[in-house]
Amino acid sequence: MTELTLYEEAMCCSTGVCGPDPDDELVEVSAALDQLEDAFDDLEVTRANMQHNIDQFLETQWIYDRVQEDGPSILPITVVDDEIVAEGEYLSYDELTAAIDESPAPQEA
Amino acid sequence: MAQSQSTATSARDVVEPSSDETEFVFFSGKGGVGKSTVSCATATWLADNDYETLLVTTDPAPNLSDIFGQDIGHEVTAIDGVGNLSAIEIDPDTAAEEYRQETIEPMRELLGEEEIQTVEEQLNSPCVEEIAAFDNFVDFMDSPEYDVVVFDTAPTGHTIRLMELPSDWNAELEKGGSTCIGPAASMEDKKQDYERAIDTLQDDERTSFAFVGKPEDSSIDEVERSASDLADLGIESQLLVLNGYLPESVCDDPFFEGKRADEQAVVERAREEFDADATATYPLQPGEIAGLDLLADVGGVLYDGREATVDVGAATDAEETGRVDADGAVDFDSMADPNAVVDQLTPGEETQYLFFTGKGGVGKSTIASTAATKLAEAGHETLVVTTDPAAHLEDIFGEPVGHEPTSVGRENLDAARIDQEKALAEYREQVLDHVTEMYADKEDTQIDVDAAIANVEEELESPCAEEMAALEKFVSYFDEDGYDVVVFDTAPTGHTLRLLELPSDWKGFMDLGSLTKGAAPAKGDQYDEVIETMKDPERSTFAFVMYPEYTPMMEAYRAAADLEDQVGIETSLVVANYLLPEEYGDNAFFANRRAQQARYLEEIRDRFDAPLMSAPLRQDEPIGLDELSAFGEEITGLADITEADAPEVTPS
Repeated sequence: MTELTLYEEAMCCSTGVCGPDPDDELVEVSAALDQLEDAFDDLEVTRANMQHNIDQFLETQWIYDRVQEDGPSILPITVVDDEIVAEGEYLSYDELTAAIDESPAPQEA
Repeated sequence: MAQSQSTATSARDVVEPSSDETEFVFFSGKGGVGKSTVSCATATWLADNDYETLLVTTDPAPNLSDIFGQDIGHEVTAIDGVGNLSAIEIDPDTAAEEYRQETIEPMRELLGEEEIQTVEEQLNSPCVEEIAAFDNFVDFMDSPEYDVVVFDTAPTGHTIRLMELPSDWNAELEKGGSTCIGPAASMEDKKQDYERAIDTLQDDERTSFAFVGKPEDSSIDEVERSASDLADLGIESQLLVLNGYLPESVCDDPFFEGKRADEQAVVERAREEFDADATATYPLQPGEIAGLDLLADVGGVLYDGREATVDVGAATDAEETGRVDADGAVDFDSMADPNAVVDQLTPGEETQYLFFTGKGGVGKSTIASTAATKLAEAGHETLVVTTDPAAHLEDIFGEPVGHEPTSVGRENLDAARIDQEKALAEYREQVLDHVTEMYADKEDTQIDVDAAIANVEEELESPCAEEMAALEKFVSYFDEDGYDVVVFDTAPTGHTLRLLELPSDWKGFMDLGSLTKGAAPAKGDQYDEVIETMKDPERSTFAFVMYPEYTPMMEAYRAAADLEDQVGIETSLVVANYLLPEEYGDNAFFANRRAQQARYLEEIRDRFDAPLMSAPLRQDEPIGLDELSAFGEEITGLADITEADAPEVTPS
């Protein structure tokens, strides 16, 4: 099984549809994650944002260290099977697919 | 229909415990209807009938201490003179703050001060307050040491729906879904408590829901709305208490005879239409209901079928205020400030925005419509808008009023109302167009655009979307051209305005947080402009409407403080409505009522640093332009609004 985890900054609503204008990036990533779950049988997707899932940041030492070191601007962090595949930006559907296919993928900065 | 004796018996059946398990009685209803009085009387009656009773209030401005004549506070306190009775006052603001701090605490390790502040603001939402409030219920719903727990407030349908989510949480959590309600992880721990609480709420053997209302159509409509909301969740309303009808013995002139007849018709209608197991009534008293004797009287009437004791001789300290002369006449006019009111109402060179705000049932739609009518008569191009879904401007003007401004039968005067469904449809379309367009620009993706759009469509079903849609429409009325003055019936609360302000905060936060999300939402600037306009006392006037009684005054005071704290908007007018007219009710009962109103008017003037506009009680609500115009002559300042073509005298 492949695990895809997104560590995200504190936010009220990770779907992007909450506020006067939808947040394009969040809309895209939410749709992409949904579609990935359908496309890959043994993929488990988790999203953790600092406001709602602070525990996950505190319990995952290496993510905690990463955020401590570089500050929250390092978020979002995309992790595929314990490998960081992206920092500071969301990946597109195509990029995520590639990252999963190549898992474990080399780390990108 | 049920006779009074059997009605009393079944009211008793509703509140009296029927098993060994702790039972719960919830009283629901708007502020100012006497909910605290009825809750205190019920708790006292239960204790007098040998049930170990706890009374819980979560009113932010509780008056249990006044009613029982002793300090209570947020510890369970035994009530003097009543065996078996204890009470506690929970401050919902403190509870919400504790909840917020618990949530934020673990983030302090990872986030800087500025980021923590932004999270704090996001948590400063009505949703979080609802959860915190519900926690208060949950905590006391496990109280085996009591036979019965009486709550002087009840969770709304909206809150219960929110708290029912636990069953969906797992699904939501997996995809990091939109739990607009705070730290899902910490709520997970309480999931079982919540589920048990909701089961108990839905168990009509253990839980009774009672509504308190006034014998007024609008009050009954409101009760029916809340009750049907609860019914959708499988919660039955068992008892309706109609409080404060005019006693027959004191209505000895046509004005009050007419009022009494109207009230009795409403009571009749409520008995026939409202689907409760029992209905009970209690009359208006000349003074405020406090002390064990009066509470025992209320309990006896509601639950033992006794006759009410109305002692009109129970004089209040009527002459203390100095506004009351020896005959018990009160000079309300001397308390109002006509010149200052005119200053606030008269538009300047730019479009003026006039907000009438206050809780339901204080008469703000009528006051706003009357002010708009008088402004139009003075030659100012006027638009009156209601943002309150329960308001019926078309009934007040006797003309159709729609989503877009239209004339209501005289020159210079248009009206509009926010149609929630239309606003939501407009908002949905706008968001979906935006998303569709966004995907149209990305050709080289394997993403399933239809599925993505369907996703967004689903998200738009949330209560959050409804609120945003209403705000969008609200903001759009600021862009209506050609008006000298726009009168709003119902202003947004401090909370909703924070929501409007947030986009700019989000931007700041995003810049700090994720580099990729630096772009401000396009609406941000427009919203900032609206907020700036509302904060500018030269362009915007906020008028709080209330009637001179304890709870309505405190509710208005708190709402005004919220507006100031959260958005920086100062209250510039207070409207005291429903003042008892001098020429009617010439007896000790109404003399006492008038003196009580005068006392609260003094307190309103002390609390609010703003000119006072006073409006009399009328036998009937004014309907149509002629009656509104005539009513306007009786309200402070409205007859003296500066004419539009009069030379400008204010230096600017």
